[in-house]
Amino acid sequence: MDDLPISQTVILAEPTQAVPTASAPIRSRGALLRSVFREERLFLVLSVFIGIFSGLAVVCFRFAIDWCRIYLLGSGFTLSPTRMLLAPSLAGLVIAALVIHVFPLARGSGVNQTKAALYIYNGCIPLRTAIGKFITAALAIGSGHSLGPEDPSLQIGASLASALGRRMRLSRDRMRLIAPVGAAAGLAAAFNAPISAVLFVIEEVIGRWTAGILGSVVLSAVSSVVVMRWFLGSESLFRIPAVQLERPSELVAYSILGVVGGFASVAFSSGIETLRPWCKALPRWTQYFQPAIAGLLIGIIAVLGAPQVMGAGYVYIDEAMHGQFTWQMLGILAGLKIVATLLSFVSGTPGGMFAPTLFIGAMLGAAVGGAEHILLPHLSGSPGTYALVGMGVLFAGFLRAPMTSVFMVLEVSGNYSIILPVMVANTFAYVISRGLRPVPIFDVLTRQDGLDLPSMEEQREEGILRVEDAMRAATGPILDAEETLERAFQRVDEKTPDVLLVRLRPTGWSSITKQNLETMIKEGKSGQTLSSVLAGRQIPYLHPDHSLDMALRYVDRWPLVPVVNRADFSKLEGVISEHDVLTRYRDFGEG
Amino acid sequence: MQTLQENAIAASEKESGLRFYLSREPLILALLSALAVVSFLAVGGLSRIYHAQRESLGNRWFMRGSGDLQQRHFELAVNEFRTALLYSRNNYAYQLDLAEALIGLKRTNEAYAYLINLWGREPENGLVNLDLARIAVQKGETDQALRYYHNAIYAIWPGDQEAEGRNARLELIQYLLAIKAMTPAQGELIALAANLDDDPAMHARVGDLFFQAHDYEHALAEYRLSLKVDQHNSAASARAGTAAFQLGRYDLAQRYLEEAVTANPDDLQSADRLKTTELVLKMDPFRRQISVDQRHRIVIEAFTAAGERLNSCAAVGNSAGTASSAKPRLADEWAQMKPQITEQGLRRNPDLVETAISLVFDIERQANAACGSSTGIDMALLLISKLHEGN
Repeated sequence: MDDLPISQTVILAEPTQAVPTASAPIRSRGALLRSVFREERLFLVLSVFIGIFSGLAVVCFRFAIDWCRIYLLGSGFTLSPTRMLLAPSLAGLVIAALVIHVFPLARGSGVNQTKAALYIYNGCIPLRTAIGKFITAALAIGSGHSLGPEDPSLQIGASLASALGRRMRLSRDRMRLIAPVGAAAGLAAAFNAPISAVLFVIEEVIGRWTAGILGSVVLSAVSSVVVMRWFLGSESLFRIPAVQLERPSELVAYSILGVVGGFASVAFSSGIETLRPWCKALPRWTQYFQPAIAGLLIGIIAVLGAPQVMGAGYVYIDEAMHGQFTWQMLGILAGLKIVATLLSFVSGTPGGMFAPTLFIGAMLGAAVGGAEHILLPHLSGSPGTYALVGMGVLFAGFLRAPMTSVFMVLEVSGNYSIILPVMVANTFAYVISRGLRPVPIFDVLTRQDGLDLPSMEEQREEGILRVEDAMRAATGPILDAEETLERAFQRVDEKTPDVLLVRLRPTGWSSITKQNLETMIKEGKSGQTLSSVLAGRQIPYLHPDHSLDMALRYVDRWPLVPVVNRADFSKLEGVISEHDVLTRYRDFGEG
Repeated sequence: MQTLQENAIAASEKESGLRFYLSREPLILALLSALAVVSFLAVGGLSRIYHAQRESLGNRWFMRGSGDLQQRHFELAVNEFRTALLYSRNNYAYQLDLAEALIGLKRTNEAYAYLINLWGREPENGLVNLDLARIAVQKGETDQALRYYHNAIYAIWPGDQEAEGRNARLELIQYLLAIKAMTPAQGELIALAANLDDDPAMHARVGDLFFQAHDYEHALAEYRLSLKVDQHNSAASARAGTAAFQLGRYDLAQRYLEEAVTANPDDLQSADRLKTTELVLKMDPFRRQISVDQRHRIVIEAFTAAGERLNSCAAVGNSAGTASSAKPRLADEWAQMKPQITEQGLRRNPDLVETAISLVFDIERQANAACGSSTGIDMALLLISKLHEGN
């Protein structure tokens, strides 16, 4: 608190609620209950419920996907060619009809819709969207479309949370935050990875860290994962191979993987960026057939020898991690999965991008690992490690969530020794992807949909203006609070600015105008000290590293705000006025 | 009037309180809790149906896979076990059988991935350790192979624990013999032999392994134990005779080889070895319980045979162009001694027996080294020389 500006201190010290009295029994009980269930605490409790309901919904979603798979594609590991062709095609027809006529908001992955709820619709996502997403995504993934269940789970969680928030009549601020809380719960349950889910939602949806948001997001994610594990067990999505970084020189090999992954991410996102608007621009009647045609083409890929591209593909990620494919086959599968996912996604079939991204990353990682094992046998480790690192690489390069990508691999593998390869490879992939395609895929999708949602990556990269960029040196004399008015007036001349800063004892600052000083002397107060006439009239101060936005809060009320040293509040570094701030903003805009 | 007003106020307050409770958080939270419980129960019911279906599907595919594995249709079995694992990914039995099927298809890397996972879960499982040992053998990782074989020997096995452990040790021994690690193989064989029951076939098999490990003493002991229970096992007799032959115990060898040849006249190898054995026994001049004249006759016969060997070896040596440099000296010695090697000469100078036999042994050894292995009487003389080496 000590280093907060005074005005902030004032804002924090809002009047507390009235203490209940015995004279008004009902009101007092109401006040008591209200104090117990104050909105912020209620929000935390509600987060747990959101987690529970999201967890239950995700469990049911998993059941639905599996049942669709069994009844549409068959229960065997080896699928019949007829089913491989018919199931995704016919399911595509049904999905298109449902999306066009019944659940128009169920289209897409779900991440952007949740962001839109946060920034455009005041946290409101209709429950119908969740139902639509549940049905259509289960049908799509279960029938073999190359999509995953994570992003739909995220949207289902967000939608349930939004419905609960509306029922609880939360304030607008809370309503805006409730969708991301549900999103974290849904994603955590789908991924069985609460840390990654929390990080993803903070990093990509909300974009800022505060204790209130973090607490709610964590509570909902943890409770949803507990519910999911209750019903589906705690086993991870794939068996984790033994991971070991034996020599630091192996990092060179992982860097190569990062570079390859970066280019693959660019190819994948370029495909979506190009094909999606093209598909959307086709005549409206074609939308009835686009998912079916995508399904048919995926079926053909499967029949021709790559059934692995169908569905989320976690079984095959597991196999790739345990060296069950040659590196050539792994490379082919990575390429075909990109094609299959492009087909499914750009056709408007509801489903997620996370699982395909992980699939492509795992295949690509294991392929690069296998190739390196032949070319650089002394540098490369096991294919399983490469597959794990590859998943993180695509996550960083394609979804552009660098922190989540590192923690996701760490959390999924449960092995700390993988962190160095992941960090190195992810950095390469992220930098290449960002260099070649400056706009992240989720932002591309929102702009294609005609929305302008804030880009978290752009926000992270945005340079902010600080007080030190606009402040100037104090031109007039700095008065001391113990000086008499007469002495102070003697130090003033025609060149002195109108507003004079007064250094208070022991700390603090005030200001006085030349005119006030003159008036008070005329009133016969010349013998009084400045502290006596300025009692209780402290002004806020700023520090050079404060953002210029913060300065803007003060400069309209105080004509001159002192900028002081953080270690010594009485030491003046400069001053700032409204004119200084506006001039700096104008220059910045022109620049 | 005042009472009415008070009642109205009270009613109004009561009504507003009820509205408050209905619209405010505590009640809604209570309702949410109830809804959560009901939802939990509903999803629980759904979950039971889901898991029961998966278990049933898993079992069905596993049974099919097991059938195909038994019939050695490995490709089909792999697909069926993989399908079973779709429904129960961590099922131990499914993974183990899948690994077995993969081994059957020689897809050892894939099998290894499953097995190492299973080993992590149950390091004491005998079958997993044995499969891992076999994979290590295929990969040429001797240390790993020995480690897993030893784990398998002392591991927990379903069914007959002792027999499975013994089979694992037998496999280990065969592996050690294959990589020519004779000393550790002998150690394992001794441990194995110590715990054998009265199964003659097993004793004979262990005898064979001892024989391969060049441990003829233990091999003979095992064959004898086998023959003790099953006297009519001609193969065991033949191998016992061979072991005794290798040990230089020609009396015993003669006995077993005679039994073998009598029981199986088609066993030409034993018959051949029996002839050599009989020659050794006949031509040994240092045998006890033979008369001086008989010894002299043996010396003369051996001396003559050595001379013939010298001549034939010279011919062979010349034709091969690899004549030994020592031979002319032996030939001279032999020629010099020849007039004295008569019954009279030997009787006159009994020390000549030693000298003559020593020369015979030298000739046989040198000829064997220079001209290749000998046969018949030369072979017998060579064996006799080995028998008395150092005396």
